[in-house]
Amino acid sequence: MSIEKSAIPLRTERLPLSIPLAIESVSAGFPSPADDYIDTGIDLNEELIRHPISTFFLRVSGDSMIEAGIQNGDLLVVDRSLDPCPGNVVVAVLDGTFTLKRLALRRGLLYLDAGHPNYQPIDLRQYGGVQIWGVAIYSIHKLQNIATA
Amino acid sequence: MGQAIALIDGNNFYAACEQNIDPSIAGRPVVVLSNNDGCIVARSAEARELGIAMGQPYFKIRHELKRLGVAVRSSNYALYGDMSKRLMDLLTQHCGQIEVYSIDEAFTQIDRPCAGDLTPWARELRATVHQNIGLPISIGIGTSKVQAKLANRLAKTVANNAGIFDLYTVTDLDSCLEDINIKDVWGVGKQLTSWFRIRGINTARHLRDMPSNQLLSKCGIRGIRLQKELQGEPCLVFEKTPKKKKQTCISRSYKHPITSLEELRQRVSSQVIKASEKLRKQKQLTRKITVFANTSPFNQSFFSKSATIQLETPSNDTVILLKASLALTQEIFQPSRLFIKVGVTMQNLQNNDYLQLNILKHYNNQQMEQRERLMMTVDHLNKRYGNGTINWAISMPSQNDGVRREQLGCNTTTEIMKIPIVYS
Repeated sequence: MSIEKSAIPLRTERLPLSIPLAIESVSAGFPSPADDYIDTGIDLNEELIRHPISTFFLRVSGDSMIEAGIQNGDLLVVDRSLDPCPGNVVVAVLDGTFTLKRLALRRGLLYLDAGHPNYQPIDLRQYGGVQIWGVAIYSIHKLQNIATA
Repeated sequence: MGQAIALIDGNNFYAACEQNIDPSIAGRPVVVLSNNDGCIVARSAEARELGIAMGQPYFKIRHELKRLGVAVRSSNYALYGDMSKRLMDLLTQHCGQIEVYSIDEAFTQIDRPCAGDLTPWARELRATVHQNIGLPISIGIGTSKVQAKLANRLAKTVANNAGIFDLYTVTDLDSCLEDINIKDVWGVGKQLTSWFRIRGINTARHLRDMPSNQLLSKCGIRGIRLQKELQGEPCLVFEKTPKKKKQTCISRSYKHPITSLEELRQRVSSQVIKASEKLRKQKQLTRKITVFANTSPFNQSFFSKSATIQLETPSNDTVILLKASLALTQEIFQPSRLFIKVGVTMQNLQNNDYLQLNILKHYNNQQMEQRERLMMTVDHLNKRYGNGTINWAISMPSQNDGVRREQLGCNTTTEIMKIPIVYS
């Protein structure tokens, strides 16, 4: 057995995880005319993570961002390289915890808004200095009733 | 205006990594313990301020730490390694070529602008690193590595330098060097320090200005280089590609002492398996193996023993290295001694790019290739499905090798089940 020739390459470090569209295996007859075009797959890491150096994963707990489409248990993709802007969903450090809220600017004042009718906006003036830890760029939600791999 | 050299390093790196992903300890005193929760190897700035010293055995100050409200973490090298890689990648992106000097230190070369002062450049880099990966860094700049290292020290120790110090901005370099103790000059160890002190060389300035023939006779060309570097003349090369290691050592401390030869063999095997994996990763072969064991260094009857074997043929084959190392365990084992630490050192490493002739005595080419492929497959499987997927029967059937990691943080960046929680 040779590693190089196995159908799906064993993954080595930092090698993008590709889902191959086809594997070259021609038994007889003409070679497929598409062979020359098939050499890449879709790499979700590449699609979702523009800045690997500054991207971190966090786990969401709670439902206060439900209106933003973020649910309890979601896998949150956070990019620290982005400058937080009003309208962004951000991870803020409040009272020693990571808190997920939407940054808002109203009449010159910054707020952290929840995405749920039961939660009040947080006026950032109440806090001395709130650190915005990073900007959330994706929330990956697992659909129910799917068996875990 | 010529080239400058900067030394960039993470402040309290391990502690900062822990604080960055766990907001409950951000801004609070934190200490990180060595392998097996032995002693303190890193302190956050807040812990430093409390006067907690580096290297103290944990069991001796455990209650004191609790009383002071200091958070304690077992070392999590997977996390520090991940953050180190991010830091080095980011520095490479911003500085071009860097020389990685340790897990949290790198040198880089930069052109000095016409204005001279590189502080604005450093300030921007520092802000970028903090925004992208959340870690504080210090930057020291000079015209040589020794100067950069020195400047980095001043960046940290002098309060209003705010983590950045460019020697170029100093108007009175003499008094600046005068303030640096000889023992804090890069490359000056304990022995050399006392040799200097006897001769009245107490500061970096004294070293810079002392007669060079005296230095030459004591430390040879290394001493001359050190002096020239201090004078601002670069002598130490900037290593663009990492130097190949000449030896590699893997050791572990255990919670409970080793009581039987069988147990010692198992422990040694675990280390050998890891070491040979490391050699293959570095594409190196070993010629000489040392196996060692010692009792607790905190015990009055400290005892250590080692044994060495020279291999006929250099190798990185786990099977061959295991056989050779296990033969040594008999020599080391002492039923009356309570060994709590064992390790192996692989020495005289060489690249495996070329084959030496006497290999042919033992294997033909086909056999060699088969063995190499077997090892490669094992490494790949262990990488893909997690360490220990394929193991050798002799090694400990271990989950955690009996290593103490009782204070491991709940958060890390390298395991999906332990990523930080964000509350919404």
